[in-house]
Amino acid sequence: MSSFWQATIYGLLQGGLLAMIAVGFSLVWGVMNIINLSHGAYVLLGAYTAWELHAAWGLDPLLGAAAGGTAMFVVGYAVQRLLVNRIVNAPIFLTLLLTFGLQLVLVQGMAVLFTADYRSIATSYASESFGIGDVRVPYGRLLAFGVAAAATAALVLFARRSRTGIAILATGMDRTAARLMGINARHVYALTAGIAAALAGAAGAMVGLVGTFSPPDAARFTLLSFVISVLGGLGNMYGALLGGLVLGVVQAWAGQYLPGTWVNAVAFAVLVGVLIVRPAGLAGRAFYEARVEAA
Amino acid sequence: MSRLLVTLISTAVVVGMIALPSQLYTGQVRVVTAVLMFVALAQAWNIIGGFTGYACFGQVAFFGIGGYTTAVLMEHANWSFWWALPVSAAGCAMFAGLIGLPLLRLRGHYFAIATLGVAEGMREVITNLGPLTGGGAGITVPTVAGRGTPWLGNDGFYLLFLALAVLAVAVAVLISRSRFGYGLRAINQDEDAAAAAGVNTTRAKVAALSVSAAITALVGSAYAFQQITIYPQRLFDVDITVTMIVMVVIGGAGTVLGPLVGAVGLQFVSEYLRQAYPQEHILVLGAVIVLVVLLFPAGLLTAARDAVSERRISLLETIRAYRL
Amino acid sequence: MTTRAGHVRRIDVLAVAAALALTLSGCGSKGTQNQAGTGDTLNLGASMSLSGSLEKEGKLTQQGYDYCVNTINAKGGFKVGAQTLRLHIDYQDDQSQPDTAGQLVDQFNDKGYKLILGPYGSATTGAAMPVIERNGQVMVDSSGSDDKLFTKGYQRTFAVLSPASVYAASIVNAINELATPKPGSIVFLAADDGFSKTVAAAGEARAKDLGFIVLPGHQFPAGATDVSSALTKIKPSKPDVIVGSVHLAEGIAIVKQAAELGVKPAGGFAETVAPPTPDFVQTLGNKANGVLSSSQWVPEVKGSEAFFGSAADYRDGFRAAVGHEPEYHNAEATAACLAMVLAVREAGSTDPDKVRNALAALDEQSFFGPLKFNDKGENVTKPMSVVQIQDGKLVTVWPKDQAAGRLVWPGASG
Repeated sequence: MSSFWQATIYGLLQGGLLAMIAVGFSLVWGVMNIINLSHGAYVLLGAYTAWELHAAWGLDPLLGAAAGGTAMFVVGYAVQRLLVNRIVNAPIFLTLLLTFGLQLVLVQGMAVLFTADYRSIATSYASESFGIGDVRVPYGRLLAFGVAAAATAALVLFARRSRTGIAILATGMDRTAARLMGINARHVYALTAGIAAALAGAAGAMVGLVGTFSPPDAARFTLLSFVISVLGGLGNMYGALLGGLVLGVVQAWAGQYLPGTWVNAVAFAVLVGVLIVRPAGLAGRAFYEARVEAA
Repeated sequence: MSRLLVTLISTAVVVGMIALPSQLYTGQVRVVTAVLMFVALAQAWNIIGGFTGYACFGQVAFFGIGGYTTAVLMEHANWSFWWALPVSAAGCAMFAGLIGLPLLRLRGHYFAIATLGVAEGMREVITNLGPLTGGGAGITVPTVAGRGTPWLGNDGFYLLFLALAVLAVAVAVLISRSRFGYGLRAINQDEDAAAAAGVNTTRAKVAALSVSAAITALVGSAYAFQQITIYPQRLFDVDITVTMIVMVVIGGAGTVLGPLVGAVGLQFVSEYLRQAYPQEHILVLGAVIVLVVLLFPAGLLTAARDAVSERRISLLETIRAYRL
Repeated sequence: MTTRAGHVRRIDVLAVAAALALTLSGCGSKGTQNQAGTGDTLNLGASMSLSGSLEKEGKLTQQGYDYCVNTINAKGGFKVGAQTLRLHIDYQDDQSQPDTAGQLVDQFNDKGYKLILGPYGSATTGAAMPVIERNGQVMVDSSGSDDKLFTKGYQRTFAVLSPASVYAASIVNAINELATPKPGSIVFLAADDGFSKTVAAAGEARAKDLGFIVLPGHQFPAGATDVSSALTKIKPSKPDVIVGSVHLAEGIAIVKQAAELGVKPAGGFAETVAPPTPDFVQTLGNKANGVLSSSQWVPEVKGSEAFFGSAADYRDGFRAAVGHEPEYHNAEATAACLAMVLAVREAGSTDPDKVRNALAALDEQSFFGPLKFNDKGENVTKPMSVVQIQDGKLVTVWPKDQAAGRLVWPGASG
């Protein structure tokens, strides 16, 4: 029984981090109907920022997350304003293609700049853990989980309470109407992309805290973001959090009760199943129509 | 110009292509073989993604299933490659029909993600069926004397992939001129309107996916035989799907010639970059893709056609139309 | 897009294509160019993982090859018959993909490159081997060690390194000889790629032979960064030794997550491949201490020859030239390049058949140990060394004639 609880706790903690990786991806998809294939590269850029700051000045990855997030906000804003905004109205393949090209440039650029070495931000506490009975709770993952939950909550508050946040949601619901209301859609889109990138960057610092990373990991983070966003449903801010937790726990349970190599197969089976049964995600409705025949 | 002339010229090109390997070095033959493979793949994707407008992000699933069906039939059932090839395609078309029924009800990105999930999931399933597929260690197609089909040699595979590329282009031409093809285009433009106009959209979409899957599986099957040893990582590599999409979109989706131009162009450019800049070629390729998308969002072919036929530069107009 | 207009332009393009095809058929000719033997330089071809999932390991291999080239050229090259040749390696990026590696070997053949140095990894090497065979090229393999590669009857590939089957088995041997108290139970955790599975199976067989209790092993996807479920599964059975048959990412994850999950084997951890890479100690810090690993090369290896001297000379020379301690991926690569040079010198010719025969007959001592191949092309004479991380440094502990320090046992810290 204790191994069940161990797997569940570990899966939840892991899921929180996955949620933070995905929440920005989900936001961009929900508001702009853009799938950002360079999202995983943003996560890694944040991780490298935090790693460099830790290596140079011994900065704790918590502060590194703030720095990485800020840096990535600028990158995300600029990329959207200068590049992606130019083809927002084109068929969806084009945004996919553009962000795919960007991903190639960023990943290969990182490999040149930082080498392909595996890195991790080594702290004294991250791998330590405390016990509840037989179940171990690692500090590093707990911290990452806390940061993820706080960031998601802050995002929800920002979107629902601040003028800018409401402008983002409004633009997501109906861009034309929003523009008529005097919202500068170009700026709002760039802002949204910036916030998404900032969250990805901060999540990257947490990845560096609890695990390892190297440039080829970018594609894996993007793929995870896909799965989680769909599980949670787009446009629902808590959706990504829910999707992340579900994925984390399902993977942990699958790992526990099936041969270890089946874990990913189960994750994708859940993804496809959810899409067929509830295309708008486990929670709530999406801004964009999911199905031909309305569900 | 008459249809006769088109036929004549096409025949001349194919005959020229058949004669080509005798003039090339072995490695060059392989490069051109890879080009032909991607012509067939891009054209296959074009049927579902270009004509019908459903961005199938899991196309590589059909490639992998085709390859693994062939490998398993040859290795465990001692089939000849020439039987395994059509059976793989037929099996894969049925698989596509089965997953198509639920998945093609999804729209836009949701369809893209669901098919991506199918492809990734299939890779994991194949990896885990170790006794049958060899798992992560790969499976080797029997090609030695006495068992299996003798390996075709570089020139043999060149001809095989040439045949598949011709087949794929021919199917695309037939579809583009048929009633079926007009139905698919109508779905692409406005699905509800197409249904209202009497197109059986579900049947048309599933048929398009199955045809597309069958061609992709033929290519995967031939690829497995060519490689001898195949691994799930490569046979279900999402990069293969992305490459098909990039080729189609750069060339011009929904046309017959666009994917052809895109596949030939991109494959030669990336091959050239690889040889010229072994360390930085991917970076350069990424930058090229970004630039092409920003400058020619409607595809190179469409831009070129507008420039020639209507003597206007559509560049600025498309950019204005697509930007925010 | 009007269909009518479409036809016209289709014809135009087809005409251009036809003209192109005809032009092409006018020039060029079947066969190979010869760019390999230009003047006094011997060009070797190498398909390498310069990007993609094995980029890190590919770069290490490239460093080893480059160091070989620079060292040999700094000594004025090497004598082949009456001529003195300098060395050059032409790299192409296979993007860590087996199919591309095979294609690149064909392209090298076009340029007349008959002598090839191996790519990184068993899958890419496996894809290159049949091509080498077909084209009558010769390859010295620096990293593809899966025993399955050498059961297919290929005659033209020679691997300087020890085969996969001894990676974990040598660790088991070392524990059996050196560890007190002798551990009772061992569990093997393996990535699900071919190489890692071969390693684990051979290790389990060896452990059973030596009388250890081998607990049921677990597998996880190759490249996994989360191995927590495998660790949770083995935790209740309290194994004395956890052996990871892994690459770098999974290897780091095992030690890191075992600490998180409170999995503490009484004896310690042992892993293949990962620990000798500097990233292992850099990312794990103190937690790396005590971990055992096997290594294809250590600076205490016996043997030397004229180009690189002894193993210690190699370490010093490499560090001075490249800026960091050589690790075994570097040394494997240099050794493969050296074997090729020695064989060409022995053959007195760059003719691939003569070089192939010289490689088959090669029997030289070097900084990498004996360079000698069996009839399958494997190097079974060379011993595999076992190292332990002590205070963040790799210390050779086995076999006895190479040992630079004593095994610390139990190895697990804390």
